[in-house]
Amino acid sequence: MSDQHQGHEPPTVGTYLRVALVLTVVTALEVGVIYVRRLAPIVVPLLLAMSAAKFALVALFFMHLRYESRVPTFLFVGPLVLASGLAVALMTLTGAFLVFGR
Amino acid sequence: MPTDRARGTLGEAKATVDVSKTSSFGLALTLGLGGCAWDTPMSTVAPRSDLARDILHVYGIIIWISLGIALIVAVALAWVIVRFRTRPGDTRIPVQTRGHTLLEISWTIAPAIVLLVIAIPTIQVIFRTQAEPARDALEVRVLGHQWWWEFRYPGLEVVTANELHVPAGKPVALTLDGPDVIHSFWVPRLGGKRDVVPGRLNRLTFTAESPGDYPGQCAEFCGASHANMGMRVVVDAPDAFARWVAAQKAEPVEPAAGPAADGKAIFARSACVGCHTIRGVSSGALGPDLTTFGSRRTLAAGILPVTVDTVAAWVKDPAALKPDVKMPALGLTDEQARAVAIYLIGLK
Amino acid sequence: MSAHPSDRLLHAPAAARASADTTSTVLSWLTTVDHKRIGILYGASAFAFFLLGGLEALVIRLQLAVPNNTLVSAHTFNELFTMHGTTMIFLAIMPFNAMFFNFMVPLLIGARDVAFPRLNALSYWIFLAGGLLLNASWLAGTPPDVGWFGYANLTSKHYTPGLGVDFWIFSLQILGVSSVIAAINFIVTILNMRAPGMTMMRMPLFVWMTLVVQFLIALAFPPITVGLIYLMFDRFFGTHFYDVAAGGDLHLWQHLFWIFGHPEVYILILPAFGIVSEVLPTFARKPLFGAPVVIYSGVLIGFFGFGVWSHHMFAAGMGPVADSAFSIATMLIAIPTGVKIFNWLATLWGGAVRPTSALHFAVGLVGLFTIGGLSGVMHASPPVDLQQTDSYFVVAHLHYVLIGGSLFGIFAGIYYWWPKMTGRLLGEGLGRLNFWLMFAGFNLAFFPQHYLGAIGMPRRIYTYRPDLGWNAGNLASTIGAFGIGLAVLVFMVNAWRSLRAGAPAPADPWDGRTLEWRTSSPPPPHDFDMIPPVYGRDSFWREKYGSRRVPIAGATQAGGHASIHLPAPSHWPWMAALGLLVAAVGGLTHVTLVVVGVLWTIWALVRFALEHHRTPEHADQTGGLGLDHRKMAMWLFLGSECFFFGTLIATFLAYKGRSVVGPAPHEIFNIPLTSLSTFDLLMSSLLMVLALAAVQRGDRRQARLWLFGTAFFGLIFLGFQAYEFTSFVHEGFTLQQNLFGSTFFLLTGLHGTHVAIGVFWLLSLWVLDLRGRLATVDAVKVEIAGLYWHFVDVVWIAIFTLVYLIP
Repeated sequence: MSDQHQGHEPPTVGTYLRVALVLTVVTALEVGVIYVRRLAPIVVPLLLAMSAAKFALVALFFMHLRYESRVPTFLFVGPLVLASGLAVALMTLTGAFLVFGR
Repeated sequence: MPTDRARGTLGEAKATVDVSKTSSFGLALTLGLGGCAWDTPMSTVAPRSDLARDILHVYGIIIWISLGIALIVAVALAWVIVRFRTRPGDTRIPVQTRGHTLLEISWTIAPAIVLLVIAIPTIQVIFRTQAEPARDALEVRVLGHQWWWEFRYPGLEVVTANELHVPAGKPVALTLDGPDVIHSFWVPRLGGKRDVVPGRLNRLTFTAESPGDYPGQCAEFCGASHANMGMRVVVDAPDAFARWVAAQKAEPVEPAAGPAADGKAIFARSACVGCHTIRGVSSGALGPDLTTFGSRRTLAAGILPVTVDTVAAWVKDPAALKPDVKMPALGLTDEQARAVAIYLIGLK
Repeated sequence: MSAHPSDRLLHAPAAARASADTTSTVLSWLTTVDHKRIGILYGASAFAFFLLGGLEALVIRLQLAVPNNTLVSAHTFNELFTMHGTTMIFLAIMPFNAMFFNFMVPLLIGARDVAFPRLNALSYWIFLAGGLLLNASWLAGTPPDVGWFGYANLTSKHYTPGLGVDFWIFSLQILGVSSVIAAINFIVTILNMRAPGMTMMRMPLFVWMTLVVQFLIALAFPPITVGLIYLMFDRFFGTHFYDVAAGGDLHLWQHLFWIFGHPEVYILILPAFGIVSEVLPTFARKPLFGAPVVIYSGVLIGFFGFGVWSHHMFAAGMGPVADSAFSIATMLIAIPTGVKIFNWLATLWGGAVRPTSALHFAVGLVGLFTIGGLSGVMHASPPVDLQQTDSYFVVAHLHYVLIGGSLFGIFAGIYYWWPKMTGRLLGEGLGRLNFWLMFAGFNLAFFPQHYLGAIGMPRRIYTYRPDLGWNAGNLASTIGAFGIGLAVLVFMVNAWRSLRAGAPAPADPWDGRTLEWRTSSPPPPHDFDMIPPVYGRDSFWREKYGSRRVPIAGATQAGGHASIHLPAPSHWPWMAALGLLVAAVGGLTHVTLVVVGVLWTIWALVRFALEHHRTPEHADQTGGLGLDHRKMAMWLFLGSECFFFGTLIATFLAYKGRSVVGPAPHEIFNIPLTSLSTFDLLMSSLLMVLALAAVQRGDRRQARLWLFGTAFFGLIFLGFQAYEFTSFVHEGFTLQQNLFGSTFFLLTGLHGTHVAIGVFWLLSLWVLDLRGRLATVDAVKVEIAGLYWHFVDVVWIAIFTLVYLIP
């Protein structure tokens, strides 16, 4: 294996198991949240935040971004941010946000 | 003004090149970027409406700025090439200047300022020309079909095709709709274009200044006969417009005996009635409304002048004049076609 | 005075040569993986397609020379302008640029080849397949006739039945695959394979522009890929993406097309800017003025180029706010573009300008692109654009930037690098004649078109009435077009004479500034006997004339002459491309061919992947940035995939709630079941990291266990999905049912396809391990499979939330 480990100790099996546990719990919470009436007004930001957290956990730990040099992070996060921005722009231009609340 | 001479229909043999004085003069002007050959029927820089003038206002600013910049760059380029050119055998190495921060900053800021000068009137005109039309605007619903234009005046209960009449001096609010593909409504002397997008209702609002006759054409590729989807906008003085509206709503007069009456009979018993509406005779909805066909000066969406010959040729074999047209040839004889033509031209 | 440094190289001892790359058999060209030969292949193909596209243009101009002309029918004319545009953009300019990327970039950065030579060959053969497929439509009598940007819904089956649009769709998809693969290859090459001492800011400008272009390609193609998939599904499978009656939005096609289309124009022009940024300094004998700023402006243009696309839609009725936003963004982009012109002028100023043919074309670009750029600024103002768009004014604009810009830049590059590529000199006299004929012909052809547009001539019309004042301008334009044709003929004569009997070219005919002039003309198969020393930006110039006596990084043997590893020729690239072609032809004819083609492609790709599984030199591919080439490539691919899935998800959300008939999501989704499948996929990622850890520490038993486990969990996920799909269909919710059906099934179906590919990949690794052919040294291969797998998981995380959970 030829990549550098910068910044953090290499991950252990324990790390992976803990991440998997958190992912499971957050998924369960996500599913639960949609059934809780009182959270309905903020359910969308909540869900977005929770899925973003899962996304980040998989990227940082399973995909090793936390343990690599900055290069892969830039190569991936740059397009990710740009793609998200374009997706939001596309949705705005086609009037998606007018119906988002339905 | 469009010439009345039929220069050769689109289905006929190759037209000869008109090497008249006009086109050579035009060529010279084209090459010399000269003066006044801008007042042509579809010119975008000879405005006859408020919309076209608003656009030309911004257009003018940008053109002059662009010409200025082009001149500066051209002169600079020519000068550096001439001044710093070497002779063969010259092996000197010039000073290896890498840059000059102040210079680079200034020629970054200068374009930015120029663009600001362009942006401000641009945004102003965008919002002004896309504002809600005035309450008393004449509402016209424009439907772009493959390959003709339908015009409906909901407030006036008038339906016509391919020739749009509007009063001078009064705002006209077009709502653009389409049952088939994307087209684009463009009458350059009255303003910029706006697409007809099925599923959306686009708007175009303008106030024509003075009576006149302005050709337009579809400006979004829409299939085989896209080039044949023209139109005419006739701007009438208010009283002339009122007369036109009245004529549109009047019941069609019975045609005189002879070819016109024959033509009506042929029309009424042929498949024509399935597509075309002539009030009191038929109510087809697939093709242009022909109730006042005779009041139009052009045929088949502005591509031919209306004469007995052209209308007869069209009726006999539309596809020869307009590729892929939806109107079929009905197997009429020359005489029958002529009779129908005389009938239709009589529908004023 | 010491001998010219390049003289030493001509007498360097011969190094290891791969015999295949010095012979000229058809077989050697078919199996070549040498970047120089691949560059020549791109260039020759590009030139052939360029002639074809030019012929199409001449027929168009003949038809329009006089009003009411009947040289060709309306149908033929519509086919001609569609094919002319598509051919010139995708089959001429892009591959001409690719010729330079391939031949010159490794030389410019002091490398011996690209990061993935066989993938490079694959890109070429797939490109050729796409180009042949598109032009096969002429032979089939059904070329596409909907314009090079084929607006929906004209392109629907209803309005344009027949195979033309289908030829167009499949060809573009194939060409897209070729481009994206090459893009990833070049990014890894440029980032990871620069000679020691060559930092990013010391790279030549052409390499910088290439780098920006490759990122644009990798990220801009996915949206059009998705848009074309939607069109294909509408035409073949009855979906409703562009179906107005079902609630579809015709603007969607335009957005997806132009989100690609606008970066595409920067893809077309930036290489030319890069060439000019090499040619002007060389022939002015001065550095590029403000090189860092030119670099930053290129990067800015690339980045902000993603934010201006709807300036192609000012007439479409987006509303004043959207119009204004895109207008301002477009004007902003004009600033870095304009700055370059001034930097180029300043480069020439105070120089010792040698008026070679290459310089003529470069200077021509500076002047002509200024005109094209200014007409572009006019288009940036929506009110003005409403008169200019879809008229001959924009046709004039686009040809000023594409011919005056891109093509003149390409010719500058051809005259500049011809000696290096062929070992011969082109005739300077003929070269100048070439330039002046092209300059005169081009301006005569296209300057009048500004006027024609200004007096109202729409574009894409096969004829026009004689009473509108358009006659003289059209005639002039036609004459000019033939002038361009004549210029191209002069070039062909020049090229022919040069190849047959041209003066031999020395290594450094121009007293150049960059590393390619440090090796012979043409270079030996291994490019450099020793990886060259780097003295800074314009490294070779500094070596020759600079005051620094010691390089930043010295020349390195990189293993010594005898052990330079040259990539071996391979059959798998052309075989895989052929499979893809067969599949596409099947799409146009019969589904069995699709199956045959797909299976053939998969087989060829598997053999491709395993061809060098045990080649020792392929084991360690760590590059200059400390990252393995293959890992970098996978991360880049995943970045591209962000755009792919981002587009699919955005469409789903944009169309949400717009179905005209039911069912609606909340009526049909089974959230508890989908939660289980989500959990399953998350756990599969856990198994994947355990598998990787096992391979890395050489624990074969656990590796086999976890690899199989991951694949197995993947299969379970697919099982859940299959169950979900069948139960939906059972309840009457199909792909064709409504807009929701179209967007949902396509999004999740494509995701499922990705999962399936991942399962196949993992099972292949598992089988390799079973056969004892997966060792610690192969860990990086498992790692990249893992990255892919985790990404597929991460996309599902997004889908689960955005599609299933959000109300």
